[in-house]
This record gives sequence, structure tokens and C-alpha cells, in this order.
Amino acid sequence: MLRVFLILAAVAGIAAAGWLVWDRLRAPIATPIADFSAPFVFGRFSVPPDNPLTQEAFALGRHLFYDPMLSGNNQVSCATCHVQALGFTDGRAKSPSLSGGELDFSSMSLANLLWGQERFFWDGRATSLEMQALMPIQHPDEMGQDIDDLMAELRASGTYRKMFRRAYGEVSPENTANALATFMRMLISADSKYDKYLRGEVRLTAQEEHGRKLFMAHPDTKISLRGGNCIDCHSQFLTSGFRDALDGFSNNGLDPDESLPDGLMAVTGNPAHKGFFKVPTLRNIAVTAPYMHDGRFETLEDVMAHYNDGIVVSDTLSPLILEADNAPEAGQGTVGLRMTSEEMKAIIAFLHTLTDDTFLANPLFSNPFDGGS
Amino acid sequence: MYFSQFKQSVLVGAGLILTSLSPAMSQDREESQGMVLLRGLPTLDTSHSIAIVELDPESDRFGEILSEVEQPEMEHPLHHLYYSPNGRLYSTGLDPSCSLAEVGLSRDADGAPVISGFTCLDTQGQMVGEDIMWANSNGQEYMFVTFMGGTGGDDGGSVGVFDTQTNEVVKIIEARKSQVGEGEPYIMYPHGISAFEDRMVVTSTVHPDLATGVGNVLTIIDLNALEPIENILVEKEKPLNFPSSPVEVLFARPDMHPEIEPAILANTMFGFETWKVPYDASSKTFGLAEVIYSGVANKTAVPLEFYGTEDELFISHALPGVVKRYELAALPELVSSGPDIVADPGAHHMIFYTSASGRDLIAIQNNLLNLGNGADDDPTDVDFIADLASHTISVHDLETGERLATIDFKERYNKGVDNLEGLFGSGFVHHH
Repeated sequence: MLRVFLILAAVAGIAAAGWLVWDRLRAPIATPIADFSAPFVFGRFSVPPDNPLTQEAFALGRHLFYDPMLSGNNQVSCATCHVQALGFTDGRAKSPSLSGGELDFSSMSLANLLWGQERFFWDGRATSLEMQALMPIQHPDEMGQDIDDLMAELRASGTYRKMFRRAYGEVSPENTANALATFMRMLISADSKYDKYLRGEVRLTAQEEHGRKLFMAHPDTKISLRGGNCIDCHSQFLTSGFRDALDGFSNNGLDPDESLPDGLMAVTGNPAHKGFFKVPTLRNIAVTAPYMHDGRFETLEDVMAHYNDGIVVSDTLSPLILEADNAPEAGQGTVGLRMTSEEMKAIIAFLHTLTDDTFLANPLFSNPFDGGS
Repeated sequence: MYFSQFKQSVLVGAGLILTSLSPAMSQDREESQGMVLLRGLPTLDTSHSIAIVELDPESDRFGEILSEVEQPEMEHPLHHLYYSPNGRLYSTGLDPSCSLAEVGLSRDADGAPVISGFTCLDTQGQMVGEDIMWANSNGQEYMFVTFMGGTGGDDGGSVGVFDTQTNEVVKIIEARKSQVGEGEPYIMYPHGISAFEDRMVVTSTVHPDLATGVGNVLTIIDLNALEPIENILVEKEKPLNFPSSPVEVLFARPDMHPEIEPAILANTMFGFETWKVPYDASSKTFGLAEVIYSGVANKTAVPLEFYGTEDELFISHALPGVVKRYELAALPELVSSGPDIVADPGAHHMIFYTSASGRDLIAIQNNLLNLGNGADDDPTDVDFIADLASHTISVHDLETGERLATIDFKERYNKGVDNLEGLFGSGFVHHH
């Protein structure tokens, strides 16, 4: 009897050891995202061929996104400045820097990054999500992490070794970036009231519909067409920007020439790009205050007031903004849309229809260290 | 077709995304992909289907079906595709079980468009859906659909008014000739539809069985009351000894081009003519109907569709299979803007787009109806119509009309091709 038991134990041991060896030597698993479907009207998207969307990459990216291990002091994660309930912003004008001050820019909303853009950050300094992913980690004021130290920490973790092995193979900076990019690409928001309206599932209120029409219209007093002129810059408002490399950047009249920040010019070196910043997605805009690249406006009412009569003229101001005026007969005392209070309220009501509560609470995008599935 | 600014922004925005794809992605340019309705041919054992087809002759996937959903349970196919102002895709249908449907589109994990299915809508008994347009009545937008069979009968026909959000029937506009009384306006076998301000026009074409009756009038509908108010006779020459059978119609109007004087243009399928009916918007009255194009004189027959781009109007003539082109600004007069585009017999629907290298193209679907071919002993064959069924889409240079390529759907897929629409709209701005 003892002999039989020993033989069975030996067989079991050999099998377990074999499985462990096999598990470490086998190629990464590439399980397609189950039941993947995206709205047709969002347009074509493309995923880098060398970083396809897989379940394993998404799971790894999600863990990395929420893990403070990615920072030098092990206290700051990507999610520190990108809070799901706030449309993956942080509710601050500018996030605090590790050195005690504040960062240069407001935290950007993350949603529908599958579509459009070829440049990331307010000033477009990254040309891919993969490139973008490692920059905050290594920035001394953001997460302050030495990339080699991070790789050592990740390799020391059995959990991460296994997740990297399943997703990509080895623990590496490149695969860390790939996983974070995959997680961000999968942050798909398509269930706001406006999405439901487009699908015919709900109706907009009269005020929201008024706002929708104003949002879509460039004012033309010759034909008595009143407009908020929003679509001229925010044509990709359902997704996250433009695919044309620099088309999604604009000077929206925040500052005079004397104090105009470099913006995109810091990246391109082109003076014509001075003061240009990324036109952001308007998804979940009602929960991503404060607004603009420096968070200078606390409310959507402040934003509308800026576009209505607070435009500051500078050399690179968008002509689409400069010429959009609902009351040119009133003279040139101010530059802006010069809409009525009711019209501005209507546009704000429409912007609220872009809030996707399902997305903001989707457990798939939540912190996995909080027990999320 | 009525395009709202939003629809344009959605489709153009999507187009902008597509046009900026890198050369490596050029095989996936969606602006050169077409939506087609295919008809299974009984003797060739194929099913009706909705499909996405690559139409860029410069693509090595030219003519390839990229996505397809079949309808093996339906005896008759879906008929005409239309995008709503909000970008929802609809199809009318010839099968009584599905006279109107909403088509589902989505994207797979590679970003490619896929047809996810279709949902047949409740039409409250209205059958043989033909054309769709979106127009306002008393400030409220509705979806208007012509049903050539209406709710049935020898003089049936209706215009269904649908809620644009819920797709529910709001009203059925119906006025049977046999019931309205002598001289009162009626609606019979409606097919073409167009509108300007508060006046809508539908045609009276032919009973769906192609035998019971043929129409010869236009019906004017008051969009305030949603009631027919006038019939206008459009019949002169009768080369087939049939009534004229007006089919497609276009209300030429100033918002198409500021120089256009409002007037209805109507093609008569069996009269082979194009008619003009002037409209005085101030008095809301229509002038004398007159023929402005004679197919008999010009050796063409079965004029069908109107499509307008920014500066030209295109009219398809099923025989001999040509598309004639005119100056848009000269409407309602037909002033030629260039030589005919020589397609195939059955020249019918068309779309406008660009190739990967930026060449302006026109694709023409060449089939009047996808009935069977007598040579195949197909029981659905009708000789006259079979002559107008080439089962092809021909692709031409838009500027010169030169044919660049052809897809023969019968040869390649054992199916006919019943309708053509661009995946992101059709590049035209005026259709109805």
C-alpha cells in the first residue's frame, strides 16, 4: 500500500514539475477580447500589429495602471491622477508634483483612445500610446521611477512575472508600455445618454436638443443660423481626437501673445503652433472639471463664458473661433459667440448628455487591488 | 436625401479619420467600401444578403465581400438602403415579413466594420417598402417611407410616417383612388419621394405585382396636415403603351444651389421621360408640367435615379445603361455638363468616392430589379426586366467617365445586386 502511495506521489510530483516547466517555457497566450464590439459611427481604429488587444495584456495593463509600485516612492499610480469616477481625471487644476509644486498641465481624461489621435498629451509630445505610457512613470515630478529599478521590482513579483509571461513573455519596459497602452485602448465609452439617443433608445429633452443643434452649428447671421461653433474644433467629440497628426490642436483664445505658452510649438518648433493645445474629448466632460490644459476654468459655465465673450486675440488664435459671432452687429467690444444665456445653458445641458455613468463605474476598469474582478 | 449637419459631421468626421490613414492602411480605406443588397438567384441556390464590398479598383481586394449577413428565411430581398441624419442605417424591403428594417453596424477587434444583423420594423401592415427620406412636419422631424403596396389591394399604396427615435408608426398617409372620389387627390403605388419646405411629392409607379396597375401621376402631400392635396399628371408619350409610371422624383430647390428655381423633376419609367413641374413657393402653387427630356427622341429608356453632387446632377437610364450628367446650378433645366457615363443595362443607383490615390470615382449599380434570368429557367424571370439586369457594379473615373473596373456579382457570387450605398454615405448631397 505504501509503495502504491509513493508511486502516485512521485507521478504527481513529476506532473506538477512538468507543468511548471511547461508554463514557464510556453509562448504567451493571446486570447482575443471576448465579445469585442465597438460603435460603427466612431469610425475606423487601428491597433499596432505588434501589440494586439488580448485579455492577458488588458489584465496586466489594468494591474499596472493601478499599482503604486510604478512610482519611485511606491505611493503614486497612474490612477492617482486618472480617477475612473472622474472620467480618469483627478478633479484638480494641476496635479501635485513629487517635488511639492504642481505639474505643468491638468490631468487628461482617458476614454476612447482607440480612435483618432496620433499625438498624446496636451502639447502632443508623445506619438503613440505605447510611447506615452512610460513618460509619466519616468518623469521626476510625476512618478519619479527609474525604469531599470521598476523592471527589477516587477521581476521580483511572482504575480507580475506570471502575468507578463502570459501576456508577452518577458518583463520589459516595452511590454510594460504595451500593457498600459492596451488597458487604455480598452477604455471604451459608448453608453452615455447621447449614445443611447443615437441608437434610438432615448429622447433628448427640448433643452438638450436645442443644445445639440447649437453645438453642431457655425453661426451664420446671413441665414439667421445661431450656433455654438463647438463642432468646428470638436468634430471628434465622441472619441478622443483626430488621426491627422496636428489637426486636433488649436489656440482657443486663452492668453495674449505676451503670455501665450508654447504648447505644440515646444514639440514642433513651429511658431505657427505657439499656444496650440490638444482639442480634448468631450466624453464625460461634466465630470472632468476643472477645464483647459491648465485647469483655469472651474465649471462648464466658466468655459461657456470664455467662448461667449472672453476670447483673447493672439497671433495664432483659431480663425474658426475668431469669426464665430452670433451678434456681429453689436460691434467689436468683445470677441466671442455672443449667445444668449438660454443658449449657453442649452449647450451645457447637451454636454451633460455625454456623461457615461456605465463607463465611470464599469468594474472592468476599476482598481483590481480593491477586489475588483 | 436630406442630410442634417450632424449626419454630415458624423460621416465626414469618420471620413476624415479614414482619409488620413497611413499608406500601409490604404487597403482598409472605408470611404471606398460600399453597402450592397444582394439578391439570391433561385436557380443558383443562393440567399439574399446585405454585404460590404470593396469598390476601389486600386485595392487588391476590389470586388471582395468584406462582411455579409444573409437572409435565407426571406423570399424577397431587402430593397433600398438609407442612412438617417443621425447615422442609423435603414433598408426598405420587398418581403411582406420585412418591409422596413434597421440594419446593425459595428466594429470588430481589428476595427473593421461588420454588419451585425437587421431588425424588421412594425409597419402596421404597409408592404413593399421603397424610398425613405427624413423631413419636418410642424417643426418635428419624421422618417417618411413610401410603400408601393401600401396595406394591400389593387390600388394600394401609402406613405408611412415614423418616429425617428423609436421607429414606431406615427401615421399612415393613405388615399385610395377607389375611395377618395372623382377628382380628389389619391396615393397609389408610391415609390419616389422628395420635399421642399412644407410640400412633399411622391410618385405613382406600378403595382408591386407588375401586372395589376400602373400609375401616371405625382401626388403632392401637405406636410402640415400630412394629407394629399393634389395630383399632377405626368404622361405624354407611351412608347410601351403603358401608363407613364413615374418612379424617382427630385424637388429641385434653392438649398441645393442658390440659383435653382424650385421645381419638381420626375422620371417616368415607362414613358422614358423626365418631367419638370415648376413651383411657386410664395403662393404654394405648381405650374404646368412639361417634358424636358424625351427618351424616345434620345434613344434611352427607363430613366430611374437622381443623384446630385456639389455641382452636378446625375440621372441614370437603364437602357442602354448610361448615366447622364447636368449642371446643378442650371436646374430645373437639364443643361449637359459632359458626355454620358456608359455603364451596363440596368444602370440604376450610384455612389461617389475617391480611390486610394485620390482619383474621383463613380460606382454604378446596373440592375433594374434582381429577378431571375430566363436562360437559367428561373421562374421569377420577366423578359423585359431580365434585359435590364446586368448584375454588375461598374466603376468609372468621375471626370472622364472612363470605365476602370467591373464587378459581376452573378458570375462571382451567384447573386444579383439590388442596391448600392456608400459605407460612409454616398458622396452625394442630393438624392430626394
